[in-house]
Amino acid sequence: MDIVITDLDPRFKHEVAKEEGGERVKYCFQCGTCTSGCPVSEIDSKYNPRCIIRMVILGMREQVLRSDFIWLCSTCYTCYERCPQDVRITEVMNALKNMAVREGYIHPAFRAQAELIGSHGRLYEIDEFTEEKREELGLARLSGDIAEVAEIFKITGLAELLSEASQEPVRTASA
Amino acid sequence: MGVAHGEVKAEAPHMGGINEAGCGRGPRIGVYVCHCGLNIAATVDVARVRDAVAGLPGVVVARDNKYTCSEVGQKTIADDIKNLNLDRVVIASCSPRLHERTFRELMARSGLNPFLLEMANIREQCSWVHGHDREAATRKAVALTRAAIARAALLEPLERNVGSVTKSAMVIGGGVAGISAALYLANMGVKTYLVEREPSIGGHMAMLDKTFPTLDCSLCILSPKMVEVRENSNIELLSYTEVRKVEGQVGSFKVELLRKPRYIDEAKCVACGLCAEKCPSKAPDEFNRGYSERKAIYIPFPQAIPASYVIDPNYCRYFTRGGKCRVCEKICERGAVDFSQREEIVTLDVGAIVIATGFEPYDASRKTQYGYGRFPNVITSLDFERIICADGPTHGKLKRPSDWEIPRRIAFIQCVGSRDEHETDGAGKYCSRVCCMITAKQAFMVKEKYPDAEVYVYHTDMRTAGKGFEEFYQRGRSEGIVFVRGKPGEIVENPEDHSLRVVAEDADSGCILDLTFDMVVLAIGLRPPGGLVELAQKLNVSRSADGFLLEGHPKLRPAETSIEGIYLAGCAQFPKDIPDSVAQAGCAAAAAAGVLASDRIEMDPLNPVVDEELCIGCRLCEKLCPYGGIKVEKTDKGFKARVIELACKGCGVCGAACSARAIKMRHYSDEQIYAQTAALLEVG
Repeated sequence: MDIVITDLDPRFKHEVAKEEGGERVKYCFQCGTCTSGCPVSEIDSKYNPRCIIRMVILGMREQVLRSDFIWLCSTCYTCYERCPQDVRITEVMNALKNMAVREGYIHPAFRAQAELIGSHGRLYEIDEFTEEKREELGLARLSGDIAEVAEIFKITGLAELLSEASQEPVRTASA
Repeated sequence: MGVAHGEVKAEAPHMGGINEAGCGRGPRIGVYVCHCGLNIAATVDVARVRDAVAGLPGVVVARDNKYTCSEVGQKTIADDIKNLNLDRVVIASCSPRLHERTFRELMARSGLNPFLLEMANIREQCSWVHGHDREAATRKAVALTRAAIARAALLEPLERNVGSVTKSAMVIGGGVAGISAALYLANMGVKTYLVEREPSIGGHMAMLDKTFPTLDCSLCILSPKMVEVRENSNIELLSYTEVRKVEGQVGSFKVELLRKPRYIDEAKCVACGLCAEKCPSKAPDEFNRGYSERKAIYIPFPQAIPASYVIDPNYCRYFTRGGKCRVCEKICERGAVDFSQREEIVTLDVGAIVIATGFEPYDASRKTQYGYGRFPNVITSLDFERIICADGPTHGKLKRPSDWEIPRRIAFIQCVGSRDEHETDGAGKYCSRVCCMITAKQAFMVKEKYPDAEVYVYHTDMRTAGKGFEEFYQRGRSEGIVFVRGKPGEIVENPEDHSLRVVAEDADSGCILDLTFDMVVLAIGLRPPGGLVELAQKLNVSRSADGFLLEGHPKLRPAETSIEGIYLAGCAQFPKDIPDSVAQAGCAAAAAAGVLASDRIEMDPLNPVVDEELCIGCRLCEKLCPYGGIKVEKTDKGFKARVIELACKGCGVCGAACSARAIKMRHYSDEQIYAQTAALLEVG
């Protein structure tokens, strides 16, 4: 992929550094400690934290925020612990996801999860089998009342985000 | 930028110039506000500062200069002193550390007492740190200058103390830097005491097999220097000795040393080794990094200086089993063994001190992901030197520790404990400077011994700046050493064969390299040595944020400390290689010899004065003084505090604490400080 100077947004790295969690992104010296120990990179080379930070520093705004790879971090914090420059990579990924969402890019998997929580109050539907088991154990039935969850969605702005016609992230080749 | 600033307003009274009115019979102060080119003027409105102080009581003239320290700037002040009859001068410019001496000399040349100068630091403490806010910076500069004027009005003339010079020096630390400094000093005719806390001099350089980039045998080039130390009649070597206490100042330091007992009479021992042959107790050999054993009676290495054995009381049966054994004593034909030796206090008088305390290798076991200390085949770069050395555990055969077999695949990992932000207390944030070249050398040595060996170097950046260094790195590549830009996250050991799996991203190819090695060498960083904090306190020298000792000036006084008469050589200041350590040792020795060449030394008269009428002998000052510089003694008027000028460093703790207000700090009197503070608070 050829990149010309006008493709790059020199402000992007500063924006990320201003975002909560992204503060130390500019300290990265590209040693690759993060990628070498990353359990996600091991099974899917599309997720390469060193490369993502490189793209941030270069200013590849669209390619990063519209990507699906920023959503692949499993937040195991291994890179966070080992990074010699204390870049706090896991938090950088969170910052990037927050920025992506604000710009209307939500990964479909996360959208599906959010919608599930919105409609059931949890990530899975409670079936009758579970309710009966709970009764046997002397536990209360799980109410189907999701009013509180809806309220949380509203207060946090998640409801609005989900209702917006958001573009889905596009796949971008990592390096 | 692009701030307009005027020429020197030499004859422009309306621009804040001469103000005869209101000066009366009080002090006659000249104020000079410096632009320092754009260093100050880009941020501070210098003309506004000048005008803001021009009318203040006592201020006869206020001017601004482009460069106050220049000939032109100095001449303006000298002329004003003469023509306007000034008796005090205030200069608002850079830190007094830079130019206080310049301006004090100007005062003296112009017939004024140099202690009637006051400086306001509007550069380091104002323009440089408030570059973003011109308005606030200007207001602060005004406040600082007004405060300086307020203090200047109350300054009193002082005479400098004159001290004698003891024509001898002490060098602390007997590594290559300390050895070099001692030899330079001794060869200039200076009586030099070389103090080393270990039983032998030689330091870390004695542990190295070869040195980069020339591949000289390390001890072959060091041991002649060590022998020279022994032979030089101007050097007195005090090995196995630590610094306990230092008093006094440049020209006349009083040092108290603690000599640890060797239990061997150095003068009698000829290092025949018969004692060690018969000694029944074994101990890990620290010189071989624990990869071999020595006896409880031992010599650290064959070329040790002093060439004398030493008894390790932690392992010797005489000490561990209550007076039994004494085999060495019986076997020694020269009667050198002496169990009656005890710790001994030695005092020295020296005029100058060189600190050459070296470094401590980073403790690689702190990086648990690399398994040092758990996986036998993970070693450090210093371990490597011992394992490949002819005098090491394998007598020069490069073998791996788990089975002492020859390793065929070897990896090096760089920056272990360097360039590390994450582990703030143990590792350095800095680049340790020597590890890249150490690895280049060691990787080359592997190839030299075993040309078929596969050698990988995992690095972040290879830093090979130095004479012949880049060429050496190139030679390594041509030998087939693979340099991988990528740092492994962890090392996983196969418990069956103790092989080591290393996963790293090769940033250059974009591939994940999943390779298995027989041995991994960690290129450990250089840390400030244990005890440096305490030593710095004893000597009152400052340390920098990295934990090493702070040089007098990063560019122009690289071998000096914050304390006159105390100098730095080698890694005590910062990690450096052998040639740089030797060069700095020469620099430190030259600076020390310069002081020792003069017969008298002038010092700022900053020690306090005790008013015996007011002193109630409460001993608070005595208890608080960190230097033993003030003592309460019985006089015919009762108990009174007395300043020990030699020990006092003028810190002011006693003056601040004295509840009877009997202790007055010269040049920093309460009145002067109150006036300064009040003026600062007046400006909102």
